[in-house]
Amino acid sequence: MTEGPHEIDCREALDRLYEYLDAELTPELAQEVADHLAKCAPCLAVSKFETAYLRFLEARTRAQGAPDDLKKRILERLLFDKDAPGGS
Amino acid sequence: MCRMASKLARDPGRYQAVAYSPPGRDSMPITHGSRSDRERTIVATPDDQRQAFEKEALPHLDTVFRVALRLAGNEAQAEDLTQETMLRAYRAWHQYRPGTNIRAWLLTILRHTFINEYRKARRAAPAVDVTEVEAFTVFEDVQESDPEGRFFDQLVDEDILRAIDGLPDEFRETLVLSDVEGLSYAEIAEVTEVPVGTVKSRLFRARQALQRELYHYAVEMGYIKPRNDD
Repeated sequence: MTEGPHEIDCREALDRLYEYLDAELTPELAQEVADHLAKCAPCLAVSKFETAYLRFLEARTRAQGAPDDLKKRILERLLFDKDAPGGS
Repeated sequence: MCRMASKLARDPGRYQAVAYSPPGRDSMPITHGSRSDRERTIVATPDDQRQAFEKEALPHLDTVFRVALRLAGNEAQAEDLTQETMLRAYRAWHQYRPGTNIRAWLLTILRHTFINEYRKARRAAPAVDVTEVEAFTVFEDVQESDPEGRFFDQLVDEDILRAIDGLPDEFRETLVLSDVEGLSYAEIAEVTEVPVGTVKSRLFRARQALQRELYHYAVEMGYIKPRNDD
């Protein structure tokens, strides 16, 4: 290669993998990881596995929200809250 | 992903004048334009405050509750903790700067409330070890049999949440804020009051330790065969 961007090795790519998948890298550093994954099948396989894992976590842990009556109770307490600034 | 804006925003705060307490008004709606001179400096009435709070803070109730549930470990305490958090946030609403990150602000209040009032009562020692984490070893174990991680999908929600609950406090809160609620590293750093570098390393270890734990569940349940039958 002539003057390309800095090339990173497998260790660097995997060190940054989560930051890459979390979109927390600068565009330059993200590009270096992307370039490495594009030509390194073993690292790409790890990346796919970890992507599946993170999607799974996100999909399977958010089902539960606050109970309906909790919201009602909170609103009632706000309405009658004596210590709120502006309340009485 | 939502970016933190609080460092940039310098809005003087349109709710800063609400510290005034008119006597004898419980839940009565207060109308604009009928105030005496003494009251004329007031920008936000209690009604304004409640409306602003309902509009801006309450939409995050599910997030507050879910994080409370993972911090406290049971629903009854999570409800108390959520209610306490929202009440504190309401009382401190004059400190919230409009346009800044309300979710991080609420979660910071939640975390302080938990640490001050609930943590002592929390469950037993963490069940998941995060000290001996080796990177990407689950993938090494499954790369022949299940490189796409299909075994994850067979796990039941209860097992997943139980595994998360087994993480040590600081790793659990970091993982929940990131992977359940989708906060950025900067937001998590703000809420948990540590440097971004600490967030990164905690998140890495929490994710890898949790993955290992889930893999063990999957093996136990027969969803996947261990690499070596030894």
